[in-house]
Amino acid sequence: MRAVVIGAGRIGCGLAGQLLRASGYQVTFVTRDPRVVDNLNRNGCYNVVLTSSTETRRFAVEGISAIAAADQDAAVQAMAQADLIATAVCSQNLPAVAPLIARALSGRKERCNIIAFENMPSVGPCLRRLVAADSQCPEEVERHGFSGAVISRMVTRRVVDPAGQAPLTVIGEMVEDFIVDRTALRAPLPGIRGMKPVEDYQPWVLHKLYTFSAGHATAAYLGWLKGYHYIHTAIRDPEIRKAVFNAMAEGQRGLAAKFGEEFGGSRADLEAIVARFENAAINDPIGRVARDPQRKLGAEERLVGAGLLAHEAGVFPEQLALVTAAALCFSNSGHDEPCSACFEHSQAAEALNQICGLDAAHGFGRIVARSWAQLAPSVLPGNLLLSLNRRMWAIV
Amino acid sequence: MRVGMLMLRHPPTRISPVMPAVVEMLKHWGCEVDIIYPEERVTPLSEVRVEHDLYILKSGTELALSLAGTLHALGAPIMNPYPIAAMMRDKIISMRILEAAGVPVPETYITSHPRQLAGLLDAGPLVLKPYRGSQGRGIHIIWDADELDDISADEGPVFAQRYHKPEGEDHKIYVIGGQMFGVKRIFPAKTYEEKIGEPFTISSELREIALRCSRAFGVELFGFDVIMSAGKPYVVDIQSFPGFKGVPDAALRLADYIYSALQRSLGGEPIISTLTPGRQNGVAL
Repeated sequence: MRAVVIGAGRIGCGLAGQLLRASGYQVTFVTRDPRVVDNLNRNGCYNVVLTSSTETRRFAVEGISAIAAADQDAAVQAMAQADLIATAVCSQNLPAVAPLIARALSGRKERCNIIAFENMPSVGPCLRRLVAADSQCPEEVERHGFSGAVISRMVTRRVVDPAGQAPLTVIGEMVEDFIVDRTALRAPLPGIRGMKPVEDYQPWVLHKLYTFSAGHATAAYLGWLKGYHYIHTAIRDPEIRKAVFNAMAEGQRGLAAKFGEEFGGSRADLEAIVARFENAAINDPIGRVARDPQRKLGAEERLVGAGLLAHEAGVFPEQLALVTAAALCFSNSGHDEPCSACFEHSQAAEALNQICGLDAAHGFGRIVARSWAQLAPSVLPGNLLLSLNRRMWAIV
Repeated sequence: MRVGMLMLRHPPTRISPVMPAVVEMLKHWGCEVDIIYPEERVTPLSEVRVEHDLYILKSGTELALSLAGTLHALGAPIMNPYPIAAMMRDKIISMRILEAAGVPVPETYITSHPRQLAGLLDAGPLVLKPYRGSQGRGIHIIWDADELDDISADEGPVFAQRYHKPEGEDHKIYVIGGQMFGVKRIFPAKTYEEKIGEPFTISSELREIALRCSRAFGVELFGFDVIMSAGKPYVVDIQSFPGFKGVPDAALRLADYIYSALQRSLGGEPIISTLTPGRQNGVAL
């Protein structure tokens, strides 16, 4: 069995490639970075370090090869012969890889499954549309399976030796489970370690986004306001810890109301998530988790989507609104002027609508707008939130 | 990840919970932390080697400073770097550096004998301090030339500053990794509660002073004392790695900063991140 993984980053190497290799696939990576292509081909392997709160495992993923994305013919040929194609390129890069997949599927007789290991709701149908749009025969694309993957594992680092001699190393969590959409894949389903095909895929996507990802974002954006560098540090701050639990609980209540208790989950689930945030071995910087805020502030995403669902369920999503406001401040930071300079009520309403799809005058949008108006004037360059509860800042 | 901490053991009566909590957190995060009390052991000088990925120079004793200097000469990464900690320990050097950096400091004089300061008293009272002193010990306010006779001339250089009558409480500004924290406290603070003081929000004027201090020494882990007199701030002391008492979540913030410095040290980067980011995402201090 052959598999091609497009993208040799953290998730490509640290999850998709490792699990495919462990399931008996010959794995070829397609990647833009020539240093990584050289490194993988020279060594024929890379190292994986997987940690939990109690143990760390180190091992090599051997027998792998790589093709430069610039060598499109070679990449297409490898994909055309593959039993399975995986992507792990970040969702915004999918339009760039879709033409390669379209060429690889063109005229192909055997059905192929494509799994997108991307952190994005509806990524399977999205990739299918992109590939069909690039295909000379769009109806052919229907023969193939396209699913997203709900990933549990956090892979926080990929270390490439600048000298290029030592194998690259990826560092992440031990958890292997990932969920795929059984209805979107084509028989026979691939046998991949950790893969759980489900019929009701979309609720599981939202379950991860509105609990784990919402909590992660809460630790990151409030941690940023309070000046911490790491998730494992921020989560030890009592105010942030409480906010993380509250935000995830608001998400859970919305999920339970919409999809049933199974998709809400329990307090024990939240405690297990927080225990993962505490794991310093994965060394997760706040800057990594907080980056790309505009995507993460999307209407279906971890904060706004969770807030809307909770509000719809009759929950007052105060915590999610505050974190959304903090993310908006983060999104506006990095300039020389204070965040408040970006904050005019009319502009705020427009930004809320454009970035989050929210109406600043109603519902969840109104709660977010109020929180944003409270935070923004104090988010000055160099200022620091000393107390979330008392809204005390370090600098006037 | 090995961290060596040069510390001074405090008497059990002195409440000092910050550093033990920092050590506990660093250990919890997978660091191997060795506490080094230079005063409590005999150190064979020929055997001093760099055995840690990062040293934390918390103690300001002469022996700790000399040991840090030895490690510095051997190439050890130290926070704060030995030359800077040594300069900050010496008020004569540190006040001149601050003054040159545009930090408002009282007029400052040095001499070998207190009596030589008599002529300066015509312009107002002076404050005499041990030039390597700390924690408010050995401070004398001199109003009259006769009082100079009570000051010992046998304790090295005499350090004097123009006295500015403080208004209200002392202001301590602490900086951790470029982040600033203000704590108001009475002077001299004697009990633990008095030392904890009360957090206050820093004015833009004090922020600018903190920035100048940080740039002057090239450090981002320090504290300084400000008195307000006739509406003007005067920086009267600066300390490398102070106690950070009264800083909200001080231990967590210190552990976070030390951990990030350790990561930089392991990655071959300078342990001082930059002198600009107060937060990540490029927000300037």
